[in-house]
Amino acid sequence: MNRDNWQVGGQELSSRLFLGTGLFPDPYVQMEAIKASGTEVLTFAIRRIHLDSVEDDSILQHVEPQKYIYLPNTSGATTADEAVRIARLARASGLSDWVKVEISANKRTLLPDPIETLRATEILVKEGFTVLPYISDDPVICKKLEEAGAAAVMPGAAPIGTGLGILNPYHLGLIVEELSVPVIVDAGLGTASDVALAMELGVSGILMNTPVAKAKDPVMMARSMRLAIEAGRLAYLSGRIPKKKYASASSGLESLVIE
Amino acid sequence: MSGDIIVMGGGIIGLSCALELRRRGLNVALLEKGPCGGQASGAAAGMLAPYSENVESPDEFFRLCRESLSLYPQWQQAVKDISGVPFEYAETGSLYVVRHEADLLALESRLEWQRSWGSGGEILTGSALFDAEPGLTREAVAALRTPVESHVYAPDLTEAVKRACLASGVQIHEHLGRIELAEWRERVALWAQNGERFEADRLLISTGAWVQEMSEPLGIRIPVHPIRGQICAYTWNEERERLRHLVFTSQGYLVQKANGTLVCGASEDIAGFDTSVTEKGIRRLTEWNKQVLPVLGEVQPFHRWAGLRPAVLDGRPLIGRLDDAGHIFVAAGHYRNGILLSPVTAALIADSVEGKPLPEWCGAFRPNRFGEVQAGAFSGK
Ligand SMILES: Cc1cc2nc3c(=O)[nH]c(=O)nc-3n(C[C@H](O)[C@H](O)[C@H](O)COP(=O)(O)OP(=O)(O)OC[C@H]3O[C@@H](n4cnc5c(N)ncnc54)[C@H](O)[C@@H]3O)c2cc1C
Repeated sequence: MNRDNWQVGGQELSSRLFLGTGLFPDPYVQMEAIKASGTEVLTFAIRRIHLDSVEDDSILQHVEPQKYIYLPNTSGATTADEAVRIARLARASGLSDWVKVEISANKRTLLPDPIETLRATEILVKEGFTVLPYISDDPVICKKLEEAGAAAVMPGAAPIGTGLGILNPYHLGLIVEELSVPVIVDAGLGTASDVALAMELGVSGILMNTPVAKAKDPVMMARSMRLAIEAGRLAYLSGRIPKKKYASASSGLESLVIE
Repeated sequence: MSGDIIVMGGGIIGLSCALELRRRGLNVALLEKGPCGGQASGAAAGMLAPYSENVESPDEFFRLCRESLSLYPQWQQAVKDISGVPFEYAETGSLYVVRHEADLLALESRLEWQRSWGSGGEILTGSALFDAEPGLTREAVAALRTPVESHVYAPDLTEAVKRACLASGVQIHEHLGRIELAEWRERVALWAQNGERFEADRLLISTGAWVQEMSEPLGIRIPVHPIRGQICAYTWNEERERLRHLVFTSQGYLVQKANGTLVCGASEDIAGFDTSVTEKGIRRLTEWNKQVLPVLGEVQPFHRWAGLRPAVLDGRPLIGRLDDAGHIFVAAGHYRNGILLSPVTAALIADSVEGKPLPEWCGAFRPNRFGEVQAGAFSGK
């Protein structure tokens, strides 16, 4: 395959997988899975991090910081103000100036609050952050986030951790069509076929955590996701055949005639 | 020597299984390459904390932990009665302390599912929190209190289980050095380094972080690896305010022991089978813990040590009999919770040795679940 790099906030990336660091059974499995996934971007909840001394944090201490871009997230925030405060803390600690805005309205579904997310995105963009909001798969709000200056927009396929796969492929397709910044599917995917399908719809990347971390073999699953992203991306770029109602022989019917 | 069952490994898991098997009438011999309790089990903080250790969702592993907690009151009493050895068992409850407002959402969803599983939990804030645990930093925003969690003094428990084994007639052979599995397909035979041969009808493998060594002879994948835990203790005599609960944070925990020490753990290091203590590992603990309990800024730990937790690829222990060799049993890979899980593991192993089927949800712990050796992603069916 030719080089098929892409960019987020001016940063060139080759891997199209962003991996969450939560939920892994232990640091060894986590590090092996990170390696197997080929990811260049790691995401984690800011509230879980030991911000006074990031290199001593229980999770980040195992990661070689120069190898990865950190995408800290504001999970747990329920308002824009709270998310903004958390993002500022993360930047002040020298962690990263990328931030995933994650503001949940409901503790059972953890679905994003679109209004607060838009507000936080506006504020953080003005403050110079590279902002990647997690949002519902609604084309209208996704467009508004792009207009507010989001470096990428990250619609969920389904609620976080459910593994339900892409509940609304139609909307996801529209979002890809209407946005010019990268679209990254964040949350709700379950397995490799979900990932391939998302990539075939033309999204630029995938962010996931649970399907890898909670697999029976997280390391093998990380590799599977890497391959699924590549397969889906190649299929998208190659152009699939149209669907037809009836069969048409691939060898051409003439060849079946015996003389 | 010949008997009903040989138990390989004398940590808390092997010892507890041996005791339970003996209580059910079997002739048991336990083989330990070093001293009993000389590895992870002697290093543990002894917390019995299914709720604080499972913060996401009530899966099979949580269920196993909770089941074991419910067995503890009777189990620890039985160990005391049989051994005549006392040890600390403290029903203190726990506090999971958070320092960000943003942690409240996660605490609330945890509270909701854990209460429906008997945690009796509640969220404490403000003066209620500082009344409950006066030494805490005033920067603590809230804590989830789980009154049913408790702790034991792990080295004493391990020693007591060993004495209970001896008192009830388990033959314990320690300091055997290298032990080789000579035969296992029909009957079981093992050679110790000194030339002694041990035979039995059945074998239980409970060799903790070393259990992967059995992968090759048995032909099954046993993806267990060591994760080192470094931990330290402070002298905590009468002049100091005693901690009333187990205290957890996202970075580690604090446990007040009756013997006048305060234990602070623990790192999770990728360091192979190296059990040394490092400057960096302990500094990490002393840096965060004073932010939770400010008085720790004034003192230095007097004791530092480390142990190897047996970690499994999917985070769950291996408990049960082998599919194709019904006389071989495995109990290993208990990672951070082997002290907690010892009674339930002993009960499940004794049940399966007696031929009882394990409950269906225990399928999550089947020792065969990772398939055969070399059955990688692209071979086999
Ligand atoms: C710092 C630290 C803190 C912890 N805190 C807690 C806690 O608070 N609560 C909790 O529930 N758990 C805790 N744990 C985890 C707990 O200690 C372990 O899960 C538990 O001790 C595992 O018991 P085990 O018997 O499987 O392993 P071990 O205690 O390691 O025993 C295995 C034994 O097998 C022997 N062996 C190995 N190979 C052979 C062989 N071929 N033949 C014969 N013998 C062999 C070894 O010498 C060893 O004695 C902690 C662990 C650490 C390191």
